[in-house]
Amino acid sequence: MAQGSLDSNGDITYPTSIDGESSAANVNAGLDRLRINAADENDDDGAVQITCFSDLSDDLTLHFQIIRLHKQIYAWIGCNSAKFGHLYAAAPTRPNNMVSVTSLLGGASDNTGSGIARRIVLKTGLNVVLACNIPKDSPMLEAAAEKKLVRKLIDLGYTKSKI
Amino acid sequence: MDALSAPFPVRHRKLSLDIQGNKTDIVICSYDDHFLVIATQIGSMGTTLHARKEEGVSIHPTFSVSVIFGKRDEPVLVACARQLIEHISNCGSSRPLVLSLGLKDHSVGTLRGVVTAVIVNRLW
Repeated sequence: MAQGSLDSNGDITYPTSIDGESSAANVNAGLDRLRINAADENDDDGAVQITCFSDLSDDLTLHFQIIRLHKQIYAWIGCNSAKFGHLYAAAPTRPNNMVSVTSLLGGASDNTGSGIARRIVLKTGLNVVLACNIPKDSPMLEAAAEKKLVRKLIDLGYTKSKI
Repeated sequence: MDALSAPFPVRHRKLSLDIQGNKTDIVICSYDDHFLVIATQIGSMGTTLHARKEEGVSIHPTFSVSVIFGKRDEPVLVACARQLIEHISNCGSSRPLVLSLGLKDHSVGTLRGVVTAVIVNRLW
């Protein structure tokens, strides 16, 4: 932060740099450049953002992949492997904003991913397609994975309001 | 090398290009047992198809393509999936394909553009 001094009017003045421009002006120009650069990196609303991360929990490795499209989120959760797993789609549906979930691939008798998809929509308000290979009958693992994924979606700023 | 310092197990490729005047975002992912391709001009995954090579003893493989979500009356989308699964098979992989197409127009030109872009940037 630039060190300023108090002048007789009670205003803070900052020392000028060698080329004569005030340091504050330089800082502001720099901030503007950063904002422009940040906007470029985040791209416009239409660009796709992909986030991949892994988490070690109870000797199991959970892998997460989030692909953010402008109007939808695709997420994949892998448990110790890179198998695709079962595919679900979930979204808030009118008129009363309830959540609808459907199984797209696999998962007819195993609802591990559908519960996660449904709760992601409830907590984030997003339109979600989720692929998940978490084994069935693992409620603790399911809850841990869901918590990490929702946390990440919030941290990335992808969420809309809760339903 | 522990689990967290190992590379992420799913490879992916992302690109953005103009196809017939429409900005198209394409993502290609390679899982252990599937390929996922998303091609969107509308900001969402659109119609999702599943394409796989059928088990068989014949020299010439046969393929099965089905729409699992979205438009079921657009033959161009099915054709796109069919072309890609055949290419996957010709490259030596038996993995099925999940293809999501969110396209503004369903012309043959757009189909060709999508198929070409995916093949050039393929992960198989």
